[in-house]
Order: sequence, then C-alpha cells, then structure tokens
Amino acid sequence: MKPVVVMADMVTPYGRGTEACWQGLLGGKSAISRVNRFKTGAFHSDVAGIINGLRYHEGASLVMQMMEMLFEGVVIPEDAKLLLATTKGEIDLLEQSMLEQRGDSADAVVSRLISKVAGLAGTKGGGLVISAACTSSAAAAAQAAAMVRTGHADCVLVVACDSITEFIFSGFSSLMALDKQPARPFDRNRAGLNVGEAAAYALIMSDERAVREDRPVLGIMEGWGLSNDANHMTGPSRESEGLILAVSKALTSAGIGPDNVGFISAHGTGTIFNDQMEMRAFRTVFQHRERPVYSIKGGIGHTMGAAGLVEMIIALCALRERKAPSTVNLKDPDDDARGWVSDHQQPVREQTLALVTNAGFSGVNTALVLA
Amino acid sequence: MTISVRGIGWLTQEGCGCIRSELRHEYETGEGAHTLTKKNIFSHPFKNFGRLDMMSKMTAYGVSLALQDGGIEYSPLRKQDIGIVGTNAEGSLQSDIVYFRDYLAGGRTLSRGNLFIYTLPSSPLGEAAIHFGLLGPVAYVAKENHALTAVLDMAEEMILADEAPAMIAGTAEAEEAIFFVLARDQGGNQPVLCDLEEARAQVETSPDLSGLIQKFLRMAERKG
Repeated sequence: MKPVVVMADMVTPYGRGTEACWQGLLGGKSAISRVNRFKTGAFHSDVAGIINGLRYHEGASLVMQMMEMLFEGVVIPEDAKLLLATTKGEIDLLEQSMLEQRGDSADAVVSRLISKVAGLAGTKGGGLVISAACTSSAAAAAQAAAMVRTGHADCVLVVACDSITEFIFSGFSSLMALDKQPARPFDRNRAGLNVGEAAAYALIMSDERAVREDRPVLGIMEGWGLSNDANHMTGPSRESEGLILAVSKALTSAGIGPDNVGFISAHGTGTIFNDQMEMRAFRTVFQHRERPVYSIKGGIGHTMGAAGLVEMIIALCALRERKAPSTVNLKDPDDDARGWVSDHQQPVREQTLALVTNAGFSGVNTALVLA
Repeated sequence: MTISVRGIGWLTQEGCGCIRSELRHEYETGEGAHTLTKKNIFSHPFKNFGRLDMMSKMTAYGVSLALQDGGIEYSPLRKQDIGIVGTNAEGSLQSDIVYFRDYLAGGRTLSRGNLFIYTLPSSPLGEAAIHFGLLGPVAYVAKENHALTAVLDMAEEMILADEAPAMIAGTAEAEEAIFFVLARDQGGNQPVLCDLEEARAQVETSPDLSGLIQKFLRMAERKG
C-alpha cells in the first residue's frame, strides 16, 4: 500500500496556515524578528522565528497554544494513530517550575504531551512520541509511511511542535550556533542559525483508504531513509557519508534514481558546517548535476523538531506549483552551492520528485522522497 | 519475514549480564553501575566516557552487553548499518534540570554546551551510536505506558521497511537497562534466542525488569 498525505497544515512565524508560510517564502520576506519573550542581552543573538501572540509562562504551554491554533475546526479520523514529534515539548513548564516554583518540572516530560494532543486532535488510536533531535518530525513521517506500507496502520496522524524558550535559546547560544542576523543558508557570509518555533500536522493514509473516503491526495510518500553519522554529537561529518547513506536509502525505498529528483528541500541551517556537509552530499549523489536546492530557514528559522514536517509540507506546495521557492536572505551563494541555490524562484521539471533532507545533533540524518 | 532476537544485554541494581551467553556479574558491596568502567564492558576505549550523563552511560553499557550477547563485534574503524531506538520513563528530565539549574546559578547569563547536549531525549542513543559505529536510524520513543513494547514495534517496522538490516532496541533508566539486538532471521547458523513475537509476549507479561530478565534467562537455559 502507498502512503499518501491527505491533510496537512502548520502554524509558523509567518502566521496560521500553510499558505501563509508558502506565500511568505515565495515573497522572499523573512519572518525572523527580535525576541521579546525573555532577556537576550547575554546571548550571541537576539533574533528568532517567533510566532506572534503566544503567551509565555502564562496559562498553557507555548506548544499547546500552537496546537490549539493548528487543530481549531479540524476533523481528524478518531482511529488515526498519533505520532508526536518534538525535541523539547513543553519545556517552558519546567522553566516555570524552576523559576517561579509553579507546577511540577515533571510536567515537561514529553510523553505527557501525547494525551493532550490526542485530546485536541480527537484521536483515540493510541500515540507515541518520536524524538530524534532536529530530524524528529521527518523521522516520524517516515515511520508513519512505513506503518502504512507494511499494512500495520492505514491512517497515521503525524504532529510536530517545538517552541522558543529561554532554556532553548540559551542552549543554542552556548554552542555558539546563533547568527546575530536573520540566517543566510548557503550564503558565503553565513554565520549560524536562528532558532524558530512551529507546529504542523500531516494525516498519512493508505492510498486505498484515501480513495475509499474520497480524500484529496496532497502528495505521495514514495521513499525514505534514516541514518547516523556515528561521528560527533554536535558537528556533522566532514565526509557527508551519513547523509549520503540516508539519501541513497530513500532513493532505493522509492525505487528511483538520482535523475528523478527535480529539487531538494535542504536542511540548510545557515551554519558553516551543516550547509557544507549537505552540498558535499548532494554533489556526490547527483554527480555534480545541478538542480534547485533551497532552505526555508532564512524565512522561519530552525524550528527544531518541527522542521522536517514543515519542510515536507512546503515541498508538497512546491511540487503542486512546480516551482522551488527562493532561499530567503541569500545574497552571495557559497562556491559549493552556486548553480544549485538561488535568491529567486526556480522552475521544477515536470514528472520529477522532491527530496527533503534533515540532520541533527548526534549525527542523525533523514531523507524523504515525495511525489 | 521473521525477525529474531540475537541477543540481550541487561543491568539492574543487583548486577549486569547477557542472556544467551549467560555472562553474569553480581555486584559486590560498593559496586554498582558507577564502577562498571573497571569491568571491561567495552571492547574499545570509550572516548570521554566520564563526561556522559548517567542515562548515556547506562545506554552504552546495555548496548555493549547486547552486542556482545548477539555475537556482533564492533570497531571504531568499521561502522555498521545497525540502528538504535530506545525509551525511558522521563526522557531527558534529569539532564534538563541539571542544565537549567546550572544556567540559573550562573545568573541567567552563561550556560554550558556540554550540559545542553544531554537535554535531548535521543542524546544517550546518539552517544551509543557514535561509540559503537552504528550508521542506522537513531530515535527516542516514548509512550504513556508499555513503552518497551512500542520500541520493539518501531524497531520491527524499521527492519521490515529495510531501513536497517538490524536494530538495537531497549530502555535505560538511572539504575537499570535492557537492550535487544534484533535482525532478520536468515536461517542457517545464526544463533538466536527467540523470535520477536515470543520476546514481545514476555515483555508484555512482565511487571518489572528483573522479572523479565529471569524469564529470558530461563528461556535461554531451556534452549540450551
């Protein structure tokens, strides 16, 4: 059975809805803004991809506020299995507990989020958290697709979320990973990433059930591959062998060759080493044959555990309209990315597929092939 | 396709060991997981083992014993396409508290990257993947209950979907851990303990880890 995406949506720094994010990216305008949620004076940056209107340390956690926006008026089949992808979930509850002695720090344990999200989404089919650093939601989407392909499920709801809090911002700052300016993926002058926050969902079904229920198909999950560099906790491999392995597995899983890939939605964080590692992998797999590559992180920042699913949904928009969005904030492509990335939209060849790549701490890599 | 259990490594408050190979070490007074570095659990030096958080150490011990039980040798120079999925009750909660307490003690200006990296629930699995040279999928899985079964299910799904030919799956807490080596049953002379269905049934009917280990030890004894 083929796994197909029949519903999807997101809340990002561009606002509520996939279309807001897609149009923002097509317009080339960044949604990165100054952080007012907590003091940033001691950190290496004061900008991030923030969703306006969320209340910090007041009432529900940031991710639950995003979830309320995301699922408002949405009807999900109640038998859907829930896969929830996040890196830090409701970490703001731990902050509240330690800063204000309000609540219990254990409220931030990620598994406690499952029943809350299931309650909002209306699912009763059981749930799991999948956490694989910044590949969390791409790994969850791959798992959902595997469950459908093997016949173990015919309807899986993948939900992804992560938020910006003082805990997370201070951590990335301590790793010297933050750019003071809006991130510039694949640019010669890139200087790091911006963290971002987002929530997204995708309902993945068997093609058989989608036909039976007369659901519109937004895209097909043709293949996927997951790997690990087995090299370093915070830095990507200098040889790119982990991402090459993930992409090779995804192409094999999809039953296609490199020439069938029309464009690549890259992880593209804006750090020197990540972007270099990805371009090395793309040049190896595609044997230097150029095709459009873009990153959306100059637009919304690095949304951590939510990044993979947000990027997968945006890639489905790019497939639908046969155009790859520009890489927001790109001015002067680095030598290894020249001819692949662009500061303007690029047409996508007909009959070709999308490749979505992600990577994260401890050397995890994912690659998804979409049609 | 049948998926079989090639080996199991375990640690409890009383000791540690392997199931199939019947290797067993009971702690003497003063011994515990904190003294295991002296027991040659790893067949290669573990770089910077001292800086790992407790959950990462327990994961590393459990994985090492499971690989040993499964007859899988590892080397930093020869990476293998094996994945690892794991779970525990609280994710990275204790490491989160340690990181944030340290940050608060520093006046909310300085924080430590070496503490922050353990605030991901998947970090202990990542540390194990790096040391043992595991190139397959790495993911932390959590569920409100029966999480060990969920981890075995996920590992099975990954093998069936050809994401890796073999997977390590298990759970690690501060004082106990168990990890399984799962692989496609290729027949022939591959030593196996049982098939995954049989292992899952044992997991589902065991109230605690010590009881589960006893069941597997008896199974290994029966199968000779």
